[in-house]
Amino acid sequence: MTRAIDDYVATLRRELDFDRALADRLASEVEDHLREAAEADPAWPSPEAERCAVERFGLGREIAAEFAADAIDRQARRTWITLAVTVAVTFVAMRLRVIWLDDGAGPDLAPLIDRYAFVAALTVGVVAWFAFRRSLAAFAICLGGLVASIGAGIVRADLFANGAPLHVLLSAAGEIALVGVLAFHVIGLGRRLRRTAELRRVGR
Amino acid sequence: MLKGHLDAIVLAALEAGPAHGYAIIETIKQRSAGTFDLPEGTVYPALHRLEQGGLLSSAWTTPANGRRRRIYSLTKAGVAALNERRKAWGRFSQAVDTALAGGRA
Repeated sequence: MTRAIDDYVATLRRELDFDRALADRLASEVEDHLREAAEADPAWPSPEAERCAVERFGLGREIAAEFAADAIDRQARRTWITLAVTVAVTFVAMRLRVIWLDDGAGPDLAPLIDRYAFVAALTVGVVAWFAFRRSLAAFAICLGGLVASIGAGIVRADLFANGAPLHVLLSAAGEIALVGVLAFHVIGLGRRLRRTAELRRVGR
Repeated sequence: MLKGHLDAIVLAALEAGPAHGYAIIETIKQRSAGTFDLPEGTVYPALHRLEQGGLLSSAWTTPANGRRRRIYSLTKAGVAALNERRKAWGRFSQAVDTALAGGRA
């Protein structure tokens, strides 16, 4: 007896390496499908019945490429939501720092970076929302702008050197955590875009 | 061209009741009398997409053969989407029929 079904399922699981939960779920589903199809074949039980079931199912790479393309849309949506929340929180935290702390304690360059990096991130985000919903470059620029803005905000307020109040430190920690989540989503989107391109290239 | 309508065809295949992937493909083949001869695996991305969109729900079961099986069902939103797509298809096919008929009618 050949192992056509086992081999196919193992290959499909590898192709879906961009989403382990999906790979596990689909491997079980596809195995059930292929075994039922093979058992319904007049040639069952035989290696030929398994081979025919696999052939009728289609190329694993093409199926994985479709899943990867759908995953990009979901990941882009998650990234947009995180970006919007991070921009809003960063803006509020920036304004609160001005109210809470005496401005101008840090280096001269910090206020400029704080303001203009945020404005740049916001501008790129707004333009990308209308023009390039799945652009990794746009997300990366927004992320860079927010990191620069938050970093400059922290330097500007001299948070760690002067022992700032707890609520100020907590707001900065919240911003840093959100940027971390955003970076995680941007990296995830990049990985899915690259994987989809690979699957489509080899599938042709 | 069929791929663009696959989601609606899958929804229609589940209208009679819950089913697993293999049964859905078999229903589609039977209803189309073999005309829709897609690779069987094509149905899984569509099922997943429809479930993500809230038009289907699914759950694992273990039938007598002991193999785990995922069963899909239409949700209320899925029933509404199917009715909407049927209407849209009716309008579209009528328009194509009229256009193709040309001056013959």
